[in-house]
Amino acid sequence: MIPLLFGISALTFILLQLAPGDFLNQMGENPAISPATIEAMRRNFGLDRPWYIQYGLYLRNILLHFDFGESFSRHQPVFTVIREGLSNTLVLAVAAAIVTWGLALPLGIWAAVRQYSWIDKALSLIAFVWLSIPEILSGLLLLMLAARTGWFPVGGMRSIDYDDLTTVARIRDLLWHLALPALVVGLVPLASRMRQMRGNLLDVLRLDYVTTARSKGLDERVVIYKHALRNALNPMITLFGYTLGALVSGSFVAEIIFSWPGLGRLTLDAILTQDQYLVMGSVLMASVVLIVGNLIADLLLAVADPRISYD
Amino acid sequence: MVRVGGVRTLAALGCAVALVSAWACGSDDSSEADAPKAAVRQQKPLPEEPRVRQTESIGTYGGRFILGETNGPKTFNAIMANETSSTDLTQILFTGLADFDNGTQQDMPALAKSWEKSADGLTWTFRLRKGAAFSDGHPITSADVLFSFEVAYDETLHPSVQDLLITNGKHWEITAPDDYTVVIKLPAANAMVVDLAGSVRLMPKHVLEPIFKAGNFAAAYSVNTPPDQLVTSGAWRLKQYAAGEKTVLEPNPYWFGVDAKNNRLPYLDELVFLVVPDQDAADLKFRAGQIDGLDNVKPENYQWYADNQQQGNYTLYDLGPAINSNFLWFNQNTVKKTEGGKKAGTPVVDPVKYSWFNNVTFRRAVSMAVDREAMIPSIFFGDAVKNWSTLTAGATVWHSPDIVKYDFNLDESKRLLASLGWKDTNGDGILEDTKGQTVSFTLKTNSDNKMRVGMANFIRDDLAKVGIKVTLVPVDFNTLITNIRDDLQYDSILLGFQTGVPPDPAMGQNVWRSSGRSHNWNISQLKPETPEEAKIDGLMDVLLASSDLAERKKAWIEIENIVNDQAWFIWLPTINAKLPLRNKFGNAKPSVIPHRLIWNIEQVYVKKN
Repeated sequence: MIPLLFGISALTFILLQLAPGDFLNQMGENPAISPATIEAMRRNFGLDRPWYIQYGLYLRNILLHFDFGESFSRHQPVFTVIREGLSNTLVLAVAAAIVTWGLALPLGIWAAVRQYSWIDKALSLIAFVWLSIPEILSGLLLLMLAARTGWFPVGGMRSIDYDDLTTVARIRDLLWHLALPALVVGLVPLASRMRQMRGNLLDVLRLDYVTTARSKGLDERVVIYKHALRNALNPMITLFGYTLGALVSGSFVAEIIFSWPGLGRLTLDAILTQDQYLVMGSVLMASVVLIVGNLIADLLLAVADPRISYD
Repeated sequence: MVRVGGVRTLAALGCAVALVSAWACGSDDSSEADAPKAAVRQQKPLPEEPRVRQTESIGTYGGRFILGETNGPKTFNAIMANETSSTDLTQILFTGLADFDNGTQQDMPALAKSWEKSADGLTWTFRLRKGAAFSDGHPITSADVLFSFEVAYDETLHPSVQDLLITNGKHWEITAPDDYTVVIKLPAANAMVVDLAGSVRLMPKHVLEPIFKAGNFAAAYSVNTPPDQLVTSGAWRLKQYAAGEKTVLEPNPYWFGVDAKNNRLPYLDELVFLVVPDQDAADLKFRAGQIDGLDNVKPENYQWYADNQQQGNYTLYDLGPAINSNFLWFNQNTVKKTEGGKKAGTPVVDPVKYSWFNNVTFRRAVSMAVDREAMIPSIFFGDAVKNWSTLTAGATVWHSPDIVKYDFNLDESKRLLASLGWKDTNGDGILEDTKGQTVSFTLKTNSDNKMRVGMANFIRDDLAKVGIKVTLVPVDFNTLITNIRDDLQYDSILLGFQTGVPPDPAMGQNVWRSSGRSHNWNISQLKPETPEEAKIDGLMDVLLASSDLAERKKAWIEIENIVNDQAWFIWLPTINAKLPLRNKFGNAKPSVIPHRLIWNIEQVYVKKN
């Protein structure tokens, strides 16, 4: 994990250096700020040094003091800035995962059991249509629906009166705001997950042991849910871990459209203004989430499949 | 074993169901977006010398104003804040010695109730309001003013406001003979002293001095400061900050501003800055009634906003020409220091191109080839005016319509180019100069600005009509700034200036002085390289030192005339600013000067029907 993060940080830092200009360039359109001031600020931020020295100092501060630097624009440690955005992004990613998997598994099973029926075909059609609509379009369409009907809030994470609500009402308010963005993020990978579930189950159903079970005269439901599904789920568990990380990055677009106060917007803003340590912090954070997602997948797999063990 | 798979599926389904039912049951909370819980107003005694503001009508207390903003604040530290997402807030959270009145476009008293200057114009005495207090009740005195200036002048912090407080390279000398008097001694006369002194927002010495002494001032008053610890000097104080979501302000119970009937301002209970990063989403949110005012509407949406005013119960205010200008210029930079084979005084661009760019007839011909009127309907949807100065018609004090300009005149443009001896000798439709070089150059602009790219396209087509070939190069904004300031690698650039507050030509020192870093066509000259630029430098001195408005205006018009006669900037149209605001607010007066919506928010109230 450490070498991986090290590689990611080095790559990000180099890419940031390759981008033209730096944090102070955005002041270029303001003729009231003098070059002397900009130079002084550049020195304050350490941006006047060559990039490899900047990177060396960055690494040294992390290793010696566990200090990941400060945001230039906010004068705050990057993790103070990122913390809140990250938790909001995770809320959205988890909700999206629930939408994806809560629909993909049962629908995939349903479609597999009724292979080639009209239900199977209709499900694939709807899922693939949704897959082919870009998030930015589906997001805006849902927002328009919300604005027209008033059924859902037009973006945001909380109502303006959130703080005056009771705890139950707060949770409801949060879920109500979460619904549309979670749908937009969650439905994108639905089509492929559903097809994978369907395919896995169909593969397993063709295996000899299933035929044996059927010929023993077992009830079809027992055959499917007890014998076939257990084996068909294993590859899905692996996928679950991997896609958790993908959902975090997948939610970035939806966050901007739905004014969701997450990591995505923070990162975009940091990249646009070249707030370099904030960018580094966000990228590292997103990488950690991805790595942890994979770890969870491996652990789940060990729990679900007795044939796998880690020594 | 049987249940494992099944239970998992069921649990997931259950969650999905819970989500669905939550949507259904959540929908009844949407109403009453405009009624915060009535704030309990702490009735603190009024200050001895309140600032009385004459309002159109006497308002009533209560209500909330929700403003949509693309970005949240990055800090509440008024002195360290640099970008508008932060200064929009710090400007009203903290007061200064003086404020700028967007309505009259003149100074008005703030903490200083009055000021006078000595006969030589070098000593300014500010008399402070008695009884003014911070949001924690601690009195605001001259000690706080001195402290704030000390911070602004700090070498290590080097806040950007410092630039404005340096005259002839020297700091001002600021003293406080007593608690309610501040004396500023200038090294040289400065017409802007009141505005500039006002730009230092006043921070509480009793809270921040220890932090400043410890060297942590830059990080003080960060966005994560607990609201009760953020002691403010302005009309508002912080009620709540939610990262990336919203910032809620409430009235400062000790604020010194009152209306004509001695009611303490502000009238509103809450002022909410709601973050809506996507402009389309902001439009939808306004349409759904969840935002009361928007400061950034795309011109392509002006028509929709105009058509739905009745139904949506709002007004689309036409504020007239914005105070931002657009223009293009040619690279006439010369090498300032002999270095690496380039001798001082030689042009930075190819000498052939320099011979065109440096030729005033060429620049005038280009200006006269640009059909500005044709741009307005298609790029600005009809909502723009022709503009010939950094101070547009929006800057009412400084704008003068009768200045030199080289407007569209195709025949004259062709005639000027012919007078240079340039002809299309090989019949390809492009002119060749007297040495047989094809007349062609590149035009750069920032790719993220649709309007600038649109204008650049028009210019390419317009110049093709007179036989000049233009190649467009849209680049990243930061690249453009590096090109202008550092490497000077370009032929011509199309860009704009954002005029600051106050819109005064003396604020444009860096642009107009030949030594200025934003003197774009030939930056940072060691001494004026042309007689015209020497003349402008002299006029800038008058503009800066004189306190006679008529004299200053005369100097400014002369500068405009020289610049336009030289066609250093090829001026392009300026957009008309429009913004929507709900009708329920009284005393609201959107202005073209930023902040366009909330500059007088302390007087705004919710009308009772």
